[in-house]
Amino acid sequence: MLKIGLINRISIRRRFTVSYFTTGKTPFNLSNTDGKDDKYKELNSMYVDMFTPEGDESETVSNPNNNKSELEEINEEMNDLCNIGYKKISSQDLQSITKSPGRFILQSLSHNPYYNLSLEDYIFRNTPSCTGSFTNQRLLFYINDNCAVMGKNQTSWKELHLKQLQESGYEILRRLSGGGAVIHDLGNVNYSFLTARDEFKTSYFNELITQWINRMSPMDYPLKLNKRGDITYNDKKCSGSAFKIAKGKAYHHGTMLISAQLDKFHGLLKPDHINGVEWECNSVDSVRSEITNIPFNAPGEFIDLCIKGFREEFALMTGANDSVPVYYCDETSTMNTQIAETMELLSSDQWKYFTGPKFKVKSTETNKTISVEKGIIRQSDFPGIVGKPFKDIFDKNPQELEPASLRRFISLLY
Amino acid sequence: MYPIITRSVPVQLGRRIAKPSLTLTLRTVVANNGSKRWASSVNSLTKTQLPFTYSPNGPKIVKYTKDHEWIAAHEDGIAFIGISKYASDSLGDATYIELPEVDTIIEEGESMGSVESVKSASEIYQPVKGEVVEVNTELENKPQLINQDPMGLGWIAKIKLDSMNDIDSSDKLLSLDQYEESLKHDD
Repeated sequence: MLKIGLINRISIRRRFTVSYFTTGKTPFNLSNTDGKDDKYKELNSMYVDMFTPEGDESETVSNPNNNKSELEEINEEMNDLCNIGYKKISSQDLQSITKSPGRFILQSLSHNPYYNLSLEDYIFRNTPSCTGSFTNQRLLFYINDNCAVMGKNQTSWKELHLKQLQESGYEILRRLSGGGAVIHDLGNVNYSFLTARDEFKTSYFNELITQWINRMSPMDYPLKLNKRGDITYNDKKCSGSAFKIAKGKAYHHGTMLISAQLDKFHGLLKPDHINGVEWECNSVDSVRSEITNIPFNAPGEFIDLCIKGFREEFALMTGANDSVPVYYCDETSTMNTQIAETMELLSSDQWKYFTGPKFKVKSTETNKTISVEKGIIRQSDFPGIVGKPFKDIFDKNPQELEPASLRRFISLLY
Repeated sequence: MYPIITRSVPVQLGRRIAKPSLTLTLRTVVANNGSKRWASSVNSLTKTQLPFTYSPNGPKIVKYTKDHEWIAAHEDGIAFIGISKYASDSLGDATYIELPEVDTIIEEGESMGSVESVKSASEIYQPVKGEVVEVNTELENKPQLINQDPMGLGWIAKIKLDSMNDIDSSDKLLSLDQYEESLKHDD
């Protein structure tokens, strides 16, 4: 479902349009507009308005990139709502392109993070690995609705303000790759580059993106790579990365902040230290970085640019005019058993809260500890909680938590 | 605006661990340039550590997979599993080792754990079917053992083989020579 105001730089008019769509009445039903229904007339004339260059909009018009991405984005939004625009591939097509050799680009039009991560995993697992020169590179794009995504080997209670996330309607996911925790929203593009394990280098794809953008769409500050291979804009991080390696293949997936509502991210990821709480665990820690959007008009503009760059970089060898194909998919037209199973796994409490590194957490107020393995409390100085899932204690209504010292401690973990 | 996007660092008991030695860090990430440099002995078992010394005369057989696992099987049907020196060098500094659960039976080719390094989760696969009888819990607090001695101290699991024949008859497992040869073709 589309949310109004998803893009920071959307004009008021655009927001207005979107709100019409969500009423379920399509504004294109022209037969209803012959005088009877003035609101449709108004809306349609608004569309004409929108696409007709006016004197006071010369700045926008003079920049074809801006124009294109606005149109692009409207298409994308309409596609979400009306299932028109992009031609989505069928489940059979997905299987066929994934299991066949060769390069392709796939953009998911779904904003469901469970679907998108499962789709990525399906393509990763089923892409043929080959001996000799690897020509099965794949590039995926997806945009997830509000969610927090942490690395496979992280502890959710340590990295995330779970209560705040739940109250704000964010999904919480543990992904299949490594790395730290990130917040996604509709203003953030996820890209995922798959290649052979032996050709895999962590900074490789970010170097390409940086070159493409600096060359084709220069901004006030050039994009740079920091020492860790992360992309920065004006010395702030605009992109995070994680990797997975298996069976002779590897993928690098990353985020690119474009029109993310950064102000809303505050208070969702935990800081390094919270007073009163000490963690003892060897899970992978997140490192906090200052972040920024890059000044693109819309996610679609970034995706288009990467597609162009990728096609130039990985031109097909078969013919001079061939280029790497671009496909579209979503969960209604493009689904299979493996994707469905992975979605089930990723959405399960078992995967989110009963898998992952063991940990011990100490209340510095009382010096009491709770030790947790596979989500179950194995040892504790607090009475009556050993053997129970840590999640149950955490989720409990605070009033029901006894003694008061336990209640105070658990509330520090929210 | 405060911290949001994050990256991983090794953490041990709430403190950052010291960076492993310079030689290790230099060898990270670029796998395909590395293999040429190394003498063929680097992917053989460390003779002073448990995977070798479990039997007085060492293991009966040591094999490798093309996915860079090694398995050292002993006379009594016990085998040790780990990742090769080549793999550990190419992954870079390990930050977390996901170990299998003791008492579980893992089929050949199933994932039995993973190594996380520089934000990469790398799967480890079971070379032959067997029941996990012990895991190397040292790796929980010292994941860097995987870099220091992947073919000795950094062993991952000890399993009870279904049958020694599984190793002898497997056409997927490679000898040391075959494994080293396969690395050359990776370039």
